[in-house]
Amino acid sequence: MNNAAKPPLLRLANVVSGYSELKVLKGISFDIEAGDFITVVGPNGHGKSTLLKTISGLVPLTSGTISINGGPTLAKPHAIAALGIAHVPQGDMLFPEMSVLENLLMGAYLAPSKAEIDRRLDEVFTLLPKLSDRRNQVASSLSGGERRMVGIGRGLMMGGQILLIDEPSLGLAPLIIEQIYGVIAELSRSGRTILLVEENPARVADLANHLHLLDDGVIVWSGPPAELLARDELLATYLGG
Amino acid sequence: MLDILTAILIAGLTTGALYALATVGLSLVWGSMGMLNMAHAAMLTLGGYSAYTFSTALGLPAFVGFLGAIVVGAIAGGLLYILIVRNLLKNDKATFESNVMIATVGIGIALENTILLTYGGQPLKQPISATGSLVLGPLSLPYQNMLIVFVVIVLMAVIALLLGRTRMGRAIRATAQNREAAQLMGVAVNRVYFQVLVLSGAIAGVCGVMVSSMTQLSPPLGNDPMLKAFIMCVVAGLGNLPGAVAAAFGLALFEAFVQYVAGARWGFPTLLFVVIAVLIWRPAGLFGRVQIRRM
Repeated sequence: MNNAAKPPLLRLANVVSGYSELKVLKGISFDIEAGDFITVVGPNGHGKSTLLKTISGLVPLTSGTISINGGPTLAKPHAIAALGIAHVPQGDMLFPEMSVLENLLMGAYLAPSKAEIDRRLDEVFTLLPKLSDRRNQVASSLSGGERRMVGIGRGLMMGGQILLIDEPSLGLAPLIIEQIYGVIAELSRSGRTILLVEENPARVADLANHLHLLDDGVIVWSGPPAELLARDELLATYLGG
Repeated sequence: MLDILTAILIAGLTTGALYALATVGLSLVWGSMGMLNMAHAAMLTLGGYSAYTFSTALGLPAFVGFLGAIVVGAIAGGLLYILIVRNLLKNDKATFESNVMIATVGIGIALENTILLTYGGQPLKQPISATGSLVLGPLSLPYQNMLIVFVVIVLMAVIALLLGRTRMGRAIRATAQNREAAQLMGVAVNRVYFQVLVLSGAIAGVCGVMVSSMTQLSPPLGNDPMLKAFIMCVVAGLGNLPGAVAAAFGLALFEAFVQYVAGARWGFPTLLFVVIAVLIWRPAGLFGRVQIRRM
């Protein structure tokens, strides 16, 4: 098999999207290969979450293409999920009246068999043992950190090819952020393909193999995290120093 | 004293069961779709007349007539989605709630008048009913009331199992709680909406048979149960299924008590008074949460 001809796991080409008349993404293009840990950084309100929502189909494409394994661009979120896009959205978006276990099982909604669901559940409980202790607790009664863990666990239960994680540190205490990033680091080490958006590039300096700096809906810089952190003028201009 | 309490209890439980049945269909649709189905009353009437047609005109056994009402109700719910709701959802989602309410008012009127033109305005007897009573010492329990309570209990158990234990039920609950998140998990919400309206139509079919077996078949048959169902939904909190069932039984027993103590004419005004009091005290209903607009 010729690897050079193989399409990337995810390819965004000139992606334009937004809300009604408001254009948020103004021509985004990049590829993600299997095993990559790509992070999109940028200030608040410049399109990071919209980017993930556009990939997962929650925000419709205005123009451009999003291709998974070289396939055609799909519009419906459920069809995109079926292709292996697991989106862990900002604010968790859990099912508040369901238990932790039910939330996790919803993640495996498209799983092909009971055995596969059990396998994924074991994997999630091994990585996030606290969820096993809380399995029967209603999601709305969890703490912010626990909710974030359930969000990540639910994303893992999808068994997707790419995990999209939206600002996992948002609104959490420093100790909890450290725990959450510990889990994400573990996922990365296990070979998962991750696309994460984050406001603070220092948090992903040791994790991501590539950064995209997003400003006003366009990628203004791309490169390794260490390089961005060494560029004071970029940090000052786009991320407030 | 015992026979008075028994009479209140039998009347309250039977009426409560009918209210619960009417309320569950309405609440299920609101809870998962944010849709107030104003055609629910007509669908209920359609169920009652369908059972009548299968049993009387076609001469089929009562049980088949009962199943026929369920199937016709389910088909009506499915068609409501395919012909109307699906198209309204494609338009501006922000106005869906008001548009679908107006559209279903029209469908309800059209359906009721179609039934009037087909069967006439004269009341008809629902052939699916049980006669006689079970006598236990001083207590007399009419078979018809027992049948209604039994059917409703079985149906509630089936609905609870369906929503709580099945993949389809989990998808319905997930869509109700967070539509976007459900989509991200791979749930095709349009399919869920179709399933919910089919289920709600089937429940309306059962309810139509049960209500008409206690009264008579007439084109406006469903109006009174639906009005009461709205009251139960408001008291419980729109979209809260267990709360709606609890409110249905609680208010029906309360109504039966008021009717016995103060006279039948005071039953409905008292229910309305309870609704007003609940709306002042807890605007989101007894078991409800503040509604967040999802569309």
